Amino acid sequence: MIIKQIATGNLHRVQITPVQTNEYQKITKARYFFNWKTEKKYEVYKLCMVDSSEILGLISLQRIPNEWRVHIRLLTVSVENKGKNKAFEGIAGNLITHAAKIAILEYAALACVSLRPKTEIAKHYINTYNFMATGLTLSIEMPEIINLINRFDHDEG
Amino acid sequence: MTKDKNIHTTPEFGVDSRYTSETVYQSEATALMEARLQRMKGLSKDDVIRAKLMQLKLKMQEFIKQPIHEKQHYFSIFLQQYIDTIYSKRTVFANDMGITPVQLSQIINNHRTPQDDFILKLMIHSEMIFKDVCDFQKELWYQVYSHEKLCKMMSTQHEWQAKLKQEVCVSEPIAKYEKKDK
Repeated sequence: MIIKQIATGNLHRVQITPVQTNEYQKITKARYFFNWKTEKKYEVYKLCMVDSSEILGLISLQRIPNEWRVHIRLLTVSVENKGKNKAFEGIAGNLITHAAKIAILEYAALACVSLRPKTEIAKHYINTYNFMATGLTLSIEMPEIINLINRFDHDEG
Repeated sequence: MTKDKNIHTTPEFGVDSRYTSETVYQSEATALMEARLQRMKGLSKDDVIRAKLMQLKLKMQEFIKQPIHEKQHYFSIFLQQYIDTIYSKRTVFANDMGITPVQLSQIINNHRTPQDDFILKLMIHSEMIFKDVCDFQKELWYQVYSHEKLCKMMSTQHEWQAKLKQEVCVSEPIAKYEKKDK
């Protein structure tokens, strides 16, 4: 998985790993927009460059096996990566792809990743990642979910 | 528009998708499931195969990342899953791989160790199959096989270590060189 540094155009390899209990201390609302400590009982993953411990993005997931679904509870990028002046591109896409991989791993052709953004930003997720809308819920399923994984996840050769 | 509102309407800042109540969750989950079941009817056989192959790849990648597993034959489990996803009959796969159905059955049932030749052919076969599905490092089969072997060796140390230790000695211990240096 890679992200692009906007200023230089350089590509950087990233990894997505579970957040450890002792890391919540440094995950502040000022840098990551939400109170992530309340997510401790869910699966929370961080995105970092492979050679750095700086957290560039976070995602909190809930597996819902009886619906073959992985629900994105919270998703964010660090404050430096928000908006027009962001440092890196592709953080959110890689985090959503991580959720998609978990869904495929668990549920194969029945896999689904869902989220429910505010109406103002729903269009962005529909246009950028091919989510489909059902009421307030957006979801990505087969075959789009495979296309999303192929877009962001490339095996290291 | 307040500053706070600005932040929360910037798409890439992120999403707060937490359900506000059980009632909201139930009603949205029901609507989503109904819509998905409709869409699932339109899934092609190829879509299902692609999803299963992607799942297999991810399972294999997970397996080789794990430290030491209990004794289980993951290579043959993954091989079975691979064959049964693509072929309606295992004998056809055996034919495509240039081995007999009996040989294949023995490998799948762990009565025969897969030879290098078989694994190499499997790598070529997978490359042809996965090219339309997703990235697939063909050496993944070998990595699974080696990892399984390593796991087996480490988990059965108590069986082989004592006996083999008697056959191993160090004629030139490091201490000898240390003395020389002094």
